[in-house]
Amino acid sequence: MTLLSILGVLSSAIFSGTSLLFTTLGEVIDERAGIVNLGLEGVLLVSASSGFAVTYLSGNPYLGILVSILAGGLMNMILGYLVITRKANQLASGLALMFFGFGLSALIGKPFVGEKIHSLTRYVLPGTAGLPLLYTSLFKFDILIYLVIPAAILVWWLLYRTRWGLGVRAVGENADTAFASGRNPHLIRYQALFAGGMLVGLGAAHLTIAFTMNWTEYMTAGRGFIAVALVIFSKWHPLRAIAGALVFSGAVAFQLLLQSSGVQVSPFLLDTLPYILTLVVLIAWGGNRKHSAPGSLGRVYQGSE
Amino acid sequence: MKNKLFGLLSIVVCTLVLLSACGPAATSTPVVVVPTVVPSTAVPPTEVPTPTPPCLIIGATYGGSITDAGYNQAMHEAVMAIKTSIDCVEIIYAEGVPDEAGATTTMENMISQGATLIFATGNNHQYPALALSQTHPDVIFEHAGGWEMGANFANFFGNPPDGWYLMGVAAGKMTTSNKIGFVANSPFAWSLVFLNAFELGVQSVNPDAKTYVTYTQAWGDSAKEAEATNALINQGCDVITMHVDSPITVVGTAESRGVYSIGFQNLAAQQFAPEYWISGTGYTLGGKLTWLASTVIDGTWTPIFLRCGMSDGCMAMAPFGKRVPQNVQDLVMQKKAEVEAGTLVVFTGPIVDQDGTVRVPAGEVLTADNMSYVDWLVQGVVGSPK
Repeated sequence: MTLLSILGVLSSAIFSGTSLLFTTLGEVIDERAGIVNLGLEGVLLVSASSGFAVTYLSGNPYLGILVSILAGGLMNMILGYLVITRKANQLASGLALMFFGFGLSALIGKPFVGEKIHSLTRYVLPGTAGLPLLYTSLFKFDILIYLVIPAAILVWWLLYRTRWGLGVRAVGENADTAFASGRNPHLIRYQALFAGGMLVGLGAAHLTIAFTMNWTEYMTAGRGFIAVALVIFSKWHPLRAIAGALVFSGAVAFQLLLQSSGVQVSPFLLDTLPYILTLVVLIAWGGNRKHSAPGSLGRVYQGSE
Repeated sequence: MKNKLFGLLSIVVCTLVLLSACGPAATSTPVVVVPTVVPSTAVPPTEVPTPTPPCLIIGATYGGSITDAGYNQAMHEAVMAIKTSIDCVEIIYAEGVPDEAGATTTMENMISQGATLIFATGNNHQYPALALSQTHPDVIFEHAGGWEMGANFANFFGNPPDGWYLMGVAAGKMTTSNKIGFVANSPFAWSLVFLNAFELGVQSVNPDAKTYVTYTQAWGDSAKEAEATNALINQGCDVITMHVDSPITVVGTAESRGVYSIGFQNLAAQQFAPEYWISGTGYTLGGKLTWLASTVIDGTWTPIFLRCGMSDGCMAMAPFGKRVPQNVQDLVMQKKAEVEAGTLVVFTGPIVDQDGTVRVPAGEVLTADNMSYVDWLVQGVVGSPK
């Protein structure tokens, strides 16, 4: 285990953790407003396929990112209509949204499988330019990676330091009380879902445009569900989500390193390492009541007549 | 009631808006190039073609997308090549065909449309096809890369280990860190055979170089492939190659990191590495499939277990990348000639595995039918074979 391989794990974790963190931040906002979005996988896929399609057609990855963000917001609006206006069950609606996303993204992405795009430019992390080439190549990141930590801080500031964030949290804790204090729970939930969806779209954009640089059907392969788990892992807090995403993707990178280090452990077993780690954290933190879930998470707000 | 109707209507509208947002994208997509045949005798454009019944209807099933620049595209190109040589055939194909039940209904549907020759190219389409071959004795089934045989069921495939050996020679010459990365699906027999052939090629020119393997546990999880490629590069590997369905992600990720890559499955992978491409091998089974179809047409088809290599035209090597020096190119081509002439046999003993156990004794050769049972890796490969 050399310094290079440890830095390598960190670099891999940052690369693959970025889309996961954007997605987790989006879900944190949704759940803070009291809505569980189990359809995250579908939202990610639709955003990724439309963002990739536009990047390919326009040749401009930034336009693709923009479309991806908008698609994420729009997908969440479908969920919003179902669970806010139609007062449908959140879990059922989320799952329906997910399956809808599977089909729609396959349809949108079909003509673009195997196409090549111009990806985002990568910039060397300031301060590492003087290091040997082997090291600098570890710290060449695209703009979305540089933006992900500020995004987490922004989400924290929005939720904890603004009137809007207070409203979101109030609605998530107890929508009736929020209504009594003069807020509009429906409107706030729609806003939170749109904002959350846009962040999920940003995560999808990083996955397809900057990371894999291609589109394949069902390319998220469960990352939407990992993001849902990471929200619980991070106790619904945007800053703890940074640690959550880094730990999870770090574990993935670490098990890949172990595999190719000649460790004679079954790769099938190593592949479960990140999930075992998630389980361990849930067990260790599970009983802590201090940072528990928003009070009315998953509950339908019936409105006050 | 009225309210509910309105609700339903709004969902539909919402969906349409979302769909139409992507509408322009879908309509102005590039045309997928499908090889079409120009008739040898020029037909005046005004003449209405008289519909003649096709001499043979062929059905083909693919497990993934035919534009993956990988395995599925290679299989599709081979099937479409039949049409280029035998103009009277009609081809029905389906991509993204799932395993088991999905494959059965797809093939049944093709048979009901008149298909009498089925190419089941998905690895997991073997048993659905075998079951159907028993209920449809008048239909001929050809599966890619399997092992089962029957009265009207046979297997065909390319023979990749020779190509992997040659790629190993190229990689062994190109690496300066003596660390070569290999992204594979999982430690199953054929992946291990490819890894072994590759490392034997590496060692033949560079005994110090080692091949580091990581498994993604999937044929097409592109994000995991990118992670695995980055992990290998971060460890110091300066040549990367792969055995998953599509080479795009691995080759493209290596290129974005300025690291050499070697492709597999389809020669089209090169376009994803304009700078750091070394070479690659791919399936070019068009000629053999055309021959199989012609034997079906003239009624001489018999079930044969068909395996064919580079000298038969079933596998091909991609052009070298621009950074590969002439002496490396010459060496690889010289080895290629030796392999094709039969003077160089890749799995000639003694071959010793990672633990030092002799797997192929001196003077013996690992035969093709024993390759399906390989569960060991040669010395020089770093990674687990189980």
